[in-house]
Amino acid sequence: MLLTPFLHQCQQQPDSLALQEQDRRVSYRQLLQRAQTIAAALQAKGIQPGQPVAIHIDRGIDAASALFGVLLAGACYVPLDLKNPIARLSFIIADAQVCVVIGSGSAPHWLDSDLWLDIASCNEATPATVEIPAESLAAILYTSGSTGQPRGVAISHRTIAAFTTWASDLLDLTPADRIASSAPLFFDLSTFDLYSVLGAGASLHFIPAGLTMAPARLSAWLSEQAISGWYTVPSLLAFLTYKGNLAQTPLASLRFLIFAGEVFPTPALIDLAASLPQTALYNFFGPTETNVCCYWPVERDRLIAEQTIPIGQPAAGCELQIDAESGELWVHGPTLASGYWRDGRVQSFMNADGWYATGDRASIEQNEYRFHGRLGRMLKSSGYRVEPAEIEAIVNAIPGVKACAVIGIDDPTAGQRPALAMVLEPEMTIGEIRKVLSRQLPAYMQPSRYLVLDELPRLANEKLDFQQLKNLFETQL
Amino acid sequence: MKDVLKSFIFAELIYHEDPATFGDEDNLLDAGLDSMGIMRLIMFAEKEFGVTLPDTEIEPDNVGSLKSLESWIRRSGYTG
Repeated sequence: MLLTPFLHQCQQQPDSLALQEQDRRVSYRQLLQRAQTIAAALQAKGIQPGQPVAIHIDRGIDAASALFGVLLAGACYVPLDLKNPIARLSFIIADAQVCVVIGSGSAPHWLDSDLWLDIASCNEATPATVEIPAESLAAILYTSGSTGQPRGVAISHRTIAAFTTWASDLLDLTPADRIASSAPLFFDLSTFDLYSVLGAGASLHFIPAGLTMAPARLSAWLSEQAISGWYTVPSLLAFLTYKGNLAQTPLASLRFLIFAGEVFPTPALIDLAASLPQTALYNFFGPTETNVCCYWPVERDRLIAEQTIPIGQPAAGCELQIDAESGELWVHGPTLASGYWRDGRVQSFMNADGWYATGDRASIEQNEYRFHGRLGRMLKSSGYRVEPAEIEAIVNAIPGVKACAVIGIDDPTAGQRPALAMVLEPEMTIGEIRKVLSRQLPAYMQPSRYLVLDELPRLANEKLDFQQLKNLFETQL
Repeated sequence: MKDVLKSFIFAELIYHEDPATFGDEDNLLDAGLDSMGIMRLIMFAEKEFGVTLPDTEIEPDNVGSLKSLESWIRRSGYTG
């Protein structure tokens, strides 16, 4: 059902442009044909509806085709972050219990080659039609887990569609739109790119990888491609604002920009708004578990440099509540994921009444919600979720480590970064710890500071004294 | 100059790599240098070396390694 609007567009305008990646252009008809071929190959491999299939391809036409192929087969996709170390990728593949890994070329050496499906090897074929109930899973997106391991958020067709149809209506997407895409498939931002955009009959243009590090060429590309909308992260928009040569590069076609994933520093947002006076700006908010639960169409005349911006109103039919005592934001509504993926099935994270406690602290003033940081231990580093427990679990497993604790410390580049305090046996060194972590964790999860202590600071009740730990790291600087 | 750049990068932008073993041609972007990091690095280099690094030259080819950074800064007029 998530694909219904897309399939409708395939009938309505089969020859319109669907996807563009560098010089490669694919029409709706071609995309559907490619997806059907992959769906048929999955069925030939014995894939049953509901089974997880990993995608080992970077964002782009091939990955999007694979993903639609998985959905046409009634299966659910697990996008991999190819920058993750092998240990983490292997964990995710095992934890998700994926039956097939779709890739391009030959299987990576660390993977059981029986699982591998090379998209180039799929011959054109028509898949058997599969009935897909709205509640069946469409995707499992892995994030850092508070349980000490990466954790999959299981999202149904109905849930993704609730967000993507809402967003499509909000932005008034039409076949005339040309939308830029930079979001990796393992981030929920990508659901907008794939289902809102292609469901509306618009075209999706993958931003060439190097351009996100070449801001002036990026703005030139946005201009030349006549891009009309883009859903991305604040850090990239700030880069474009300050280094993108926007004064010389008018983005006349750009109707809207949406940002999410991090707090947009207001001074940078003010400068962006001034550079792009004709472009509507939107702040989307929500953890992966809720996709987007709250949004604020940026009101330019209300931007004040010293004030953080609101997260605004409930989105996509969600209801929000703030716990009076803790200030925690609770969410209930159609964009809530089905649950966490554990042992091959969905484990709900909601209470008996269907509400999810986000762990975010929020307030409401004049019917407008504001975000005030996290209640729990999770931190955000360069837009990625990092659970201290996941780093601690790996450190604690290293022989020679007696105890450890990870906290977030503020960082001018990444927002926050993890910092690691340890109690070590005499023969163990920080260098050894670093070596293990670099093999097991992606760059954004690597601790930025290390501290070796005789013992971890504790409160009277024996719980870790995180405030004291933070003070110790600060005095170390 | 490379040492000044290196100590800034590994003290302020990339923490988990060991500067002692990080080569002049090793890829800074793969090591985690991102758009925010590049902005801070450019601000630092412009102030430290008294050059202007044009926005239109911010490219993976110019910021991708210590060696390419150094030659970019020299091309931009640094003569120290």
